[in-house]
Amino acid sequence: MSKQAYMRVENIVKKFGPFTALNGVDLEVHAGEVHALLGDNGAGKSTLIKILSGVHEPTGGTIYIEGKPTTFRNPRDASAAGIGTVYQDLAVNQLMSVTRNFFMGRELTTRFGALRMDEMNQIAHDEMLKIGINFSDPTQAVGTMSGGQRQTLAIARAIYFGAKVLILDEPTSALGQKQQMEVLKTIKRVRARGDIAIIFITHNEIHSRLIADRYTFLALGEVIGSGTKAELEGEDIRRLMAGGAEIKDLEQELAAI
Amino acid sequence: MSERSESDRLQREGWLQRMLRRPEIGSFVVMIIIILALAFASNGKAFNALGLKNNIAIIAQLGIIAVGAALLMIAGEFDLSIGPMIAFAGMSIAIMMKWGLPFGLGEATPFLAFLITLCMTLAFGWLIGNIVVRSGLSSFIVTLAFWFFLRGLTEVCFRLINQNTNVSGLPDFKKESWFAEQMGGEVFGWFFDAWYWVGTQVSAGAEFTAEMTKSEKLDMINFLSFLNINRKMEQWVTGFDARLLWFIIIAGAAWYVLARTQLGSWIYATGDNKESARANGVPVNRVKIGLFMFSAFCATIFATCQVFDTNSSDAAKGMFKELEAIAIAVVGGILMTGGFGSIVGVIFGAVTFGLVANAVFFIPWIDGAWFRVFVGTVLLAAVFANERIRKRITGGI
Repeated sequence: MSKQAYMRVENIVKKFGPFTALNGVDLEVHAGEVHALLGDNGAGKSTLIKILSGVHEPTGGTIYIEGKPTTFRNPRDASAAGIGTVYQDLAVNQLMSVTRNFFMGRELTTRFGALRMDEMNQIAHDEMLKIGINFSDPTQAVGTMSGGQRQTLAIARAIYFGAKVLILDEPTSALGQKQQMEVLKTIKRVRARGDIAIIFITHNEIHSRLIADRYTFLALGEVIGSGTKAELEGEDIRRLMAGGAEIKDLEQELAAI
Repeated sequence: MSERSESDRLQREGWLQRMLRRPEIGSFVVMIIIILALAFASNGKAFNALGLKNNIAIIAQLGIIAVGAALLMIAGEFDLSIGPMIAFAGMSIAIMMKWGLPFGLGEATPFLAFLITLCMTLAFGWLIGNIVVRSGLSSFIVTLAFWFFLRGLTEVCFRLINQNTNVSGLPDFKKESWFAEQMGGEVFGWFFDAWYWVGTQVSAGAEFTAEMTKSEKLDMINFLSFLNINRKMEQWVTGFDARLLWFIIIAGAAWYVLARTQLGSWIYATGDNKESARANGVPVNRVKIGLFMFSAFCATIFATCQVFDTNSSDAAKGMFKELEAIAIAVVGGILMTGGFGSIVGVIFGAVTFGLVANAVFFIPWIDGAWFRVFVGTVLLAAVFANERIRKRITGGI
């Protein structure tokens, strides 16, 4: 890649007391690309995104934003640097309206602290329409939305508030088949804008193959493989996905039982 | 087929359905039933001039602390220290009024006594809030500890300074102090003046005569009492208790904050899903600490009104008030788990509770203890109703 990565992390280490969650992880993401971050449970994916989104401070290593070393002391710092994270639980409040969720923590107010509700309703509606959901009533509670719609809400929110890097934490894991496809379409639409880098965390090899341009595989806190789609053969992806184990070995083990 | 989207599955609702979805609807229906039942059972006496004043007095009193409790519950926390906080604040003000300012700083004025007391109660609220958010312990247990702590502290202070667990027979500060009058005096006199004026027009010519039988005289008194006229044919009631003004101010401010401001959104978000609120940059801990302080503020206003109204205070003040405040909030549609509810519902809840608590004065044949039986029943029903509403709003998924 000739152009500079929007975000690059180098040699990230994170220790929780005696436990080393991440042991020197490198990663780089480019605008207009989907970077799939794959790995089994406990591989350190969640810890890595918590560091990228400012929830944890790394024990060692550096995060570069547009080439400049940066530290995030809290989620606000990360968000100011253009990191938008869509968590697995989506960070939505079910009992609150779509609009209030969309603007949560960043409400538009008048000088006296009052909400500009009509304006906020309009923006929430328009932004969600842009990435593919026509939502008739932004005052309805988020609890009434489907999982795919909530995902869209969280993504639209991150983009509206200036995310240059969109971190999606297992966005398809808790959804039905059809809704998974909707979310993948949404991700494609965001990718097509060309100005946003997407980090797509998933368990699902098929989903990652459908939309990813670049891969990083984690196992036990270390990168065990990375590269562009062209660089990695299909078999490689599958093998790395299983944490380096050969799927054939597994087949034999299963057959032996 | 492909034209259909997920959002189409949500039916657009009519006006009536929307009303039925509102969090206040349950408490509104209960309130109307109670108003009608009480008017009927008391022969209307509960809503003559004096009845209205007395009912409003207790409604406002309960309402003030219920609003504080409700905001805190929407943010997902409880405050069991409301009652003892009332007793502590009452003690502090009454003792300062009797024995002067602490450290021999001279005579206390009502406003100064209130201000110093408010600083202390806000400090307690701040402390409780900090302990809750920093320890991550349940606010139930932390405020239970403060329940004992403050009850004990109040009694100890009374005994140490006053050699007695009460202060009574204070001079009536309302006459010389504007502040004491605003807390313990009367407000909205024009309302009863207007009522009296209308009464004189309606009752023109009515008077007691020597040939009236006793029962005719009683009927006459009953009739005049609805026209705000006493048996000497003078104006009967001159104003509401001042706490009505405070209830209106506190409830109005709380309603505005909750429904129309950024802070209101943060309060809901804090109670609904704390982690997601935090992830979106809502200062969850500051919201909670602030609301514990607001709850202490409401308790202090309650106590100040009480002290300057009765010119006395004792260590047993505010007994059970924390539980009543929580009960009113729940009956008003506030979810026990937080994140949902409205101040309008709490006002309806306060009206219901106030009327029932006072009912014994208007219906002589009723045993006052039925109040608690009623509270228990309504509370349980309200919890079930709230749970249903919550499921309906979240679509049950």
